[in-house]
Amino acid sequence: MEKSYRKYLRTAVASLISLFFFIPILMMLLGSFKTQGEVLALDLSLPEEFRWENYAHVLKTGSILRGYLNSFIITSVSVAMILLFGALTGIIISRRKDKGSRIIYGYYLFGLTATMQMVTTYALMIKLHLNGTYLGVILVFAAINLPFAVLTFSSFVTGVPIEIDEAARIDGAEALQLVFRILLPIMKPVTVTNLIISAIGVWNNFQVPLYLMSSSKKMTIPMTVFNFYGLYARDWQYVFAALTITILPVVILYLALQQYIVEGMTAGAVKG
Amino acid sequence: MKSFNKNRSYPLWLTLPGLAVYTLFFIVPIAAAFLYSFTNWNLNDMSQARFVGLRNFKSLLQDDIFLRSVGNTLLFAAVITFFKTLIGLLLALLVVKPFPGNSLFRTVYYLPCVLSTMIVGLLFTAILRQDGLLNNLLYAAGLGSAARDWLGSYKPAMCWIMITEVWMWAGFSMFIFISGLQAISKDYYESAELDGANARQAFRHITLPLLAPSFTVITTLNITGGLKVFDLVYALTGGGPGFDTQVLSTYVYRAFGLGLLGKSSAAAILLSLLIVAVTFALNHFLRSMEVER
Repeated sequence: MEKSYRKYLRTAVASLISLFFFIPILMMLLGSFKTQGEVLALDLSLPEEFRWENYAHVLKTGSILRGYLNSFIITSVSVAMILLFGALTGIIISRRKDKGSRIIYGYYLFGLTATMQMVTTYALMIKLHLNGTYLGVILVFAAINLPFAVLTFSSFVTGVPIEIDEAARIDGAEALQLVFRILLPIMKPVTVTNLIISAIGVWNNFQVPLYLMSSSKKMTIPMTVFNFYGLYARDWQYVFAALTITILPVVILYLALQQYIVEGMTAGAVKG
Repeated sequence: MKSFNKNRSYPLWLTLPGLAVYTLFFIVPIAAAFLYSFTNWNLNDMSQARFVGLRNFKSLLQDDIFLRSVGNTLLFAAVITFFKTLIGLLLALLVVKPFPGNSLFRTVYYLPCVLSTMIVGLLFTAILRQDGLLNNLLYAAGLGSAARDWLGSYKPAMCWIMITEVWMWAGFSMFIFISGLQAISKDYYESAELDGANARQAFRHITLPLLAPSFTVITTLNITGGLKVFDLVYALTGGGPGFDTQVLSTYVYRAFGLGLLGKSSAAAILLSLLIVAVTFALNHFLRSMEVER
């Protein structure tokens, strides 16, 4: 009896705590349906009527969809680069075990503690005529995420028995076949971890595009929303609608892939 | 297995694409920042940069705003690390045992971690403004005298930047602690109970010491991450009011915006040196703690 009473006490405490997480979200959701007059006093009251036209307005004027497209292009290409280069480098250096590969390992290890230098990156972009381009931002994202990818892939491959490679070689697999057909499929767990960490990191990153993307046509979603806020700071109903449009897909994705995301992010932290 | 040269199956050239991207877009800017931090490089004429020795560093150390941003950065890193660890641990202890809804609550507490800091910053701006949610709730609760412009002066603004950060990431520490707690064998607790230890003693002498690796991970991550803080400050206060809540990364951005590339690089270099020094000291300290136990 006493045990089950305690259980419900836990539920009660946990529910109280979740209020702290729900209140900001609730404020945003309710506010996104209000009129400008109603939303002027930011509170948790229900809107007089649910004004879906706020969303229509934001979608029409806010270039949110454009921001989505930009974020999608930048995230997918840079994550593909991170996974491919990270996996290749990880496999090669952990299998070779010679001096060269140890140096490469150390070289990437340095990158894990080093801090990205945005000012000179900006100058480099200008020098290479990559300033304000998708490619420039993509390459920078790939570069800053590679150290983590290389080190995690390399430590994963170290745990894959070398016999697998040897069997494949006896069957006549060439170097590239061995890497792409045999080793890459085995590395699914570490690939998922890297996919999640780098995709979330790139998608949410604000600082890199802030320095490198001045054109509003190529802005990523966090920047788009921030600029939208700058323009509409008096119309919270629109800002909230924009925030909701931005957050909703992320939350749905999170709820659907929760297990992978949480495990991926925490595994990343522990290994990083 | 002498019939083939083992390393021929793993050609080194496959590492070249990665090395090229990493070197050009990460290492080269670091090296360049180091070199340019000794010059008067500026945005008006980027091809001209004259060596000026330590002038940038000297002027930084005499700049009150810079010193203030160093102080704020250190304060931020220390405070958020402490509270994320504490609250993360409490949340983990709360939800690690089975009870109705426990996995749902984990999901909720972790949710902010996947959001963009910029988005969270805007949400909290709506809460903390003069006419924001917090003040309206205070008025509704009859505590109108406590209402104020939370982001309008140094102390509350700095506090709320840190509270927002903790709000966002406490769930992350929680999950690291949960996996730490689940790794502790139940046998320890059973034999402790046989020895007549009470719950508090078991927590003090079993749980806490065996969580040492989790503490190490959380502390290291949060301190180094905290020293780099940018988005949240940029979104909530923009470093203001005045330059009061400026941190190192926003200082670097501001100097960049003013076109002082040399000075900006010097500040960024000092930030990275600070991070390296703190990481090194921290690793040393935490490792000695783990060994002692």
